[in-house]
Amino acid sequence: MKTNRHYRPSESNITAPSCDYVKSALSIMRLIRKSNFGQLIIGVAALFSLLLSGNAHAVPAFARQTGQNCLACHAGGNFPELTPYGRLFKLTGYTIGKRTIPLAVMGVFGSTNVKGPTPTGPGHTATDGSLTFDTGSLFVAGKITDKSGVFAQFTYGNYANTNYILDSGDPSTGHIGSDNTDFRYADQLINGDQNFIYGFDINNNPGVEDVWNSTPAWGYNVVPISTGFAPAALPIIDGGLAQQAVGAGAYMYWDKTVYAEISGYRTGDGVYSFMTQGNGQQINIKGENPYLRLALTHDWGAQNAMVGYSYFDVNEYVPGMQNLTNHYRDNTIDFQYQYLLDPHTFTVDVTRTNETINYGDAGSAPDSINSLMAKATYTYEAKYGAALEYFNISNSSNNIGNTNSNYNPSAIAGEFSSQTGTEGWTPEVFWLPVQNVRIGVQYTMFNRVDGVATGGADAINGKASDNNQVVFYIWGAY
Amino acid sequence: MKKIAIGLILASTIVTAGCNTTASSRNLADAKVSGQDLAQQVCSICHGPDGNSTNPTFPKLAGQQSVYLVGQLKEFRSHDRSDPAGYQYMWGIARHLTDKQIAELAAYFSAQKNIPGPSRNPELEAEGKQIFTHGIAAQNTPACATCHGPDGAGNGIFPRIAGQHANYIEKQLGIFKNTGQRPDGAMMKVITHNITPAEVKAVAAYLATL
Repeated sequence: MKTNRHYRPSESNITAPSCDYVKSALSIMRLIRKSNFGQLIIGVAALFSLLLSGNAHAVPAFARQTGQNCLACHAGGNFPELTPYGRLFKLTGYTIGKRTIPLAVMGVFGSTNVKGPTPTGPGHTATDGSLTFDTGSLFVAGKITDKSGVFAQFTYGNYANTNYILDSGDPSTGHIGSDNTDFRYADQLINGDQNFIYGFDINNNPGVEDVWNSTPAWGYNVVPISTGFAPAALPIIDGGLAQQAVGAGAYMYWDKTVYAEISGYRTGDGVYSFMTQGNGQQINIKGENPYLRLALTHDWGAQNAMVGYSYFDVNEYVPGMQNLTNHYRDNTIDFQYQYLLDPHTFTVDVTRTNETINYGDAGSAPDSINSLMAKATYTYEAKYGAALEYFNISNSSNNIGNTNSNYNPSAIAGEFSSQTGTEGWTPEVFWLPVQNVRIGVQYTMFNRVDGVATGGADAINGKASDNNQVVFYIWGAY
Repeated sequence: MKKIAIGLILASTIVTAGCNTTASSRNLADAKVSGQDLAQQVCSICHGPDGNSTNPTFPKLAGQQSVYLVGQLKEFRSHDRSDPAGYQYMWGIARHLTDKQIAELAAYFSAQKNIPGPSRNPELEAEGKQIFTHGIAAQNTPACATCHGPDGAGNGIFPRIAGQHANYIEKQLGIFKNTGQRPDGAMMKVITHNITPAEVKAVAAYLATL
């Protein structure tokens, strides 16, 4: 597992923000998981009737708490991207509204199909081409006191166990684990036309506490069944410690202009393990690891923008090597723009991360990872949408020939032995027939995979374009 | 540092839970929270702390007639006002407000000073001013100023329209003309019957600057 520590396989992406219904929906989904197409249709119809039978204004827990529609907090109704109001709802501790039963459920059906011949390329699964139940989540989300609240997600990944990839394995071994979790206490001081929000936060995924969608935790491949970035080595801030570390910190937001946060992350074991369990072998980090975040924001007319910076500094233990740690330093700049005026919603997110890695084993040269991700999304009448995502992730390979190399069984510290640059585009169209259901199609086109461009080939991943993948999904929440 | 943060969170939560203070509460179902606190803690997020909202999705409430504000909040609470933005955003906000809180909210926002928008298209605004002041005799469209006042500041049930976002005015005139989603505005349905989209645009552009 160490080889691809930051590798984010598409179907097992249970750490990404995902959505599902559990309870009754789960039973339907289990029934149809390995069923034929006819049963599947019945299952989907049952799911829709479940959704449509509800009050149109009774969507997940937060909406029940505020009584508002999804689009009050989610830009163009396109969850999870937040509007300015949604950001303030989160920053003020999920406390607006009245206390209700803080439960919601979410589910994702999907179908993936990879262009290249099996078993080349990542992303191929035993369920290629079949519409399957992918993930289901239970949310405990809502106001606790007038100044504190929680967002806690637990996700059942129907294919969460990994051996279904490529060799089909046993696709029936799903399991449940902690997903994104965020406890907050916050207050807002208002004087005249100025305001000051401050708060404290405990979470289990560096950046998940952020309110802008240019952070890796919320910005890209948020549909749980998304293709992802193939074998790219991602910076540790991009899910590397999701549901593995637990952090606490303080933040402030002054006059809707300056946001600042400082948090410290530690291994999510012991009493914190309820926020990390069910997510594979525990990754251990050394002591407290700082995360800093600054953002400048401005609203004008129907538009708003944010320019931000974050720094994450982590010492991670190398498995099996006592006291040996790799040191990761992530510098990220990000940008978000939103235009929000019915019937149009247009948003742009750009995120650039540079990671420097100093390996713990003597004799290894430092490495680096550069990632650039960008995404533009448009929705019309909070019903019809289109998005285009670009990603370009590359890493240095300063330890070629090192016997500790990445793909060498004797590797002890995870150094990269090769250039694993990945670049591509993901266009997407989607439709929200009702505000809590999104149906969409994505197509991820790889220009470059594992450092190999279209037309070339390598032993591991074949031609870059062999990795191209179409994803169809039905994503709903109640 | 984390231990300190955890300690602060726990201490703050316990203190908050143990107190009965409602200052800076964002609880929309607690009759003890004052209208001013709700205005500042909740309404201000979209409508601005001084009632001058930034995004035209949300109307400016600064300087609005308090009688009109009371009426609208009650219409949201009873679901009688059902235009899309109204139910999407406001039904939930208003559902548990008491009459007292509604009166306090109206008093808070009516006491704020409206800040009109800048002039963007003088020619269009001049055309709008003509409609606002004199109406359009040829199509029996009365002058806005007749009910809303010569300065557009409104009077009682007639809302302030001066300084309102142009986009909001345009949308509301469309709702009056084409739907029955604002029964309190039945009078406006008659008035807007013959008005054209170009005329709506002109009068809205003028009102935004007034």
